[in-house]
Amino acid sequence: MFFHMVLERNMQLHPRYFGPHLHEKLTTKLVKDVEGTCSGKHGFVVAVTKVESIGKGLIREGTGFVTFPVKYQCVVFRPFRGEILEAVVTLVNKMGFFAEAGPVNIFVSNHLIPDDMEFQSGDIPNYTTSDGSVKIQKDSEVRLKIIGVRVDAAEIFCIGTIKDDFLGVINDPDATA
Amino acid sequence: MTEPFNRLVKLAARAFYDDFTTKGDNQPKTGRSDNRGMAVVVLDALTRRQWVREEDLAKSLKLHTKQLRRTLRFFEEEKLVTRDHRKETAKGAKIFSAAIAAAADGQQVGKEGDEKTKIHTHSYCCLDYAQIYDVVRYRLHRMKKKLKDELDNRNTIQEYICPNCNRRYSAFDAMQLVSMEDEYFHCESCNGELVAESDKLAAEEMGDGDDNSRRRRREKLKDMLQRMEEQLKPLTLQLARVKDLPAPEFGTLQAWEASVNAAGRGGNNNGSATDASKSAQGQGYGGTPMPYIGETKVEVTIFGADVKDEGAETEAATASLKVLPPWMIKQGMNLTKEQRGELRPDAKVDGSEAYRDQSDEKKQEQKQEDVKSLEEEYLTAYYEAYARMLEASKTAQGEAEVSQQSTSSYLNGVSDTNSARQVGMKVKREDDDDGGIEWEEDVATGILNELSIVNDPNAQPDGSGDEDDDIDWEEG
Ligand SMILES: [Zn+2]
Repeated sequence: MFFHMVLERNMQLHPRYFGPHLHEKLTTKLVKDVEGTCSGKHGFVVAVTKVESIGKGLIREGTGFVTFPVKYQCVVFRPFRGEILEAVVTLVNKMGFFAEAGPVNIFVSNHLIPDDMEFQSGDIPNYTTSDGSVKIQKDSEVRLKIIGVRVDAAEIFCIGTIKDDFLGVINDPDATA
Repeated sequence: MTEPFNRLVKLAARAFYDDFTTKGDNQPKTGRSDNRGMAVVVLDALTRRQWVREEDLAKSLKLHTKQLRRTLRFFEEEKLVTRDHRKETAKGAKIFSAAIAAAADGQQVGKEGDEKTKIHTHSYCCLDYAQIYDVVRYRLHRMKKKLKDELDNRNTIQEYICPNCNRRYSAFDAMQLVSMEDEYFHCESCNGELVAESDKLAAEEMGDGDDNSRRRRREKLKDMLQRMEEQLKPLTLQLARVKDLPAPEFGTLQAWEASVNAAGRGGNNNGSATDASKSAQGQGYGGTPMPYIGETKVEVTIFGADVKDEGAETEAATASLKVLPPWMIKQGMNLTKEQRGELRPDAKVDGSEAYRDQSDEKKQEQKQEDVKSLEEEYLTAYYEAYARMLEASKTAQGEAEVSQQSTSSYLNGVSDTNSARQVGMKVKREDDDDGGIEWEEDVATGILNELSIVNDPNAQPDGSGDEDDDIDWEEG
């Protein structure tokens, strides 16, 4: 799920930037620093939307660096148990398949794949129904349900299932090609 | 027409809300304050009504309004009940009552002089049959799905075991276990090929106890699923029966009022009824004829109890007690006994102004009632003396009030086991055409016993002193 929220961060700035464009510099540095990172608490920071306020800088003794407390608005993404996500398959093997929904990696183990889908090894390993009508392979797009989320300090990993109503392949790369 | 749906509500109430209890009362959690079963009583009562003012419902169920409201709020969340709240002045309430009367018997009720402009928020509630049908089906579906999912291990995180070193992994570690060489997961420490744990179920090597408990759990789940299907069979059958029937639809409070109003007007071209509803609409109350409410409108107020709106309420009571002419009673109408010309016991026990103008049969009943109330008065006097003896240490003033309270509630017929039993008896008789569901009365009486002290919604509960008092009374 996506959230729009206000976060805070202490930014350290080199003395060489002290000048007319200090705020601009701080903003670009902030965007560079936080976008794409993941915090266990909030999830992935997708984009900084606005810098709300920049507090008074504090000069560090010895180095001359200045620390600014910066408040900024941003969009974060955090998956939840029970959430339905659409993801792109990245790897298929006998144990199941891996998929990505943006920055989140999801693993769907083979017992969470419908029973009528069989693993086929070969050049392009895939899961296929007995009549061949549905196929999951690399780059397939699937809709899945998150049944477990593990949040580390810098990474979020999910377990998903496609063994439920309305889940499974939503776009087959072969079909469109 | 509504009967199959009413039965559905009753079955669902007993299946799912039997042990619902409104907690958070600052009463001690004793057997007496245990109000389980109340939810069922409330739902049953609602099947006999359409839209109803919550205060009136509380009165006829002899429940405290707060308690009833809590239960109704719960049912609102459960999507069984729709509620509506609106601000009404005392004048509005009067018009509302007049409209009830108009719809009930097509006669204009005597106009009242003084009007107060105090604004109260009144809440109304009504069963939402169409939604109840969906809610119950959804609930059953979810119950079954949950059990089946557990049986299939659907939402479990897969575990893996290394057969060489017995190291365990969960699916969360999958990223680290992937090997580039083959299709399997490999152990991080010995590079052995991992095996999914469920595949090992047959193999005994990984700990017997674990497997056994898993098997036992499966058995339990299966058993539970089976029992669930067995026990909820009446409900599923009723759902199937109701499936193709149109659900009773009362619409919003306003729409419902308008339609009942129109029906009342069409039924009798008595201009005064039209007047009443017109004036009501002019006031913006939509003129609410509610033919089925108001049977317990009368309050027996003794000693400086709240007398504010007495005028309006007695009027409403007399009005609503009038009997519907038989030609007005249509199939599918949800009427109380009063409107059918029968007598309702709890109203009877209220016995006072309400019974001044009544049909002959009622007068007969009243005679019996008089004898009974004599008996009751006698008993009351006895209990009073007994209570006074026990309460000797308490302050005289408070005590007098307490016993007065108790007396008034006693006169209402619910304060001691003796009269409560009588109530139960009669209610049973009244309920005979109700498909033989006699369950409600017992619980109702039980609750009434518990709540005797607050059964008059206008009386403020006087605190713990009352409680003790009450206990003694029941023992006596
Ligand atoms: Zn190993």
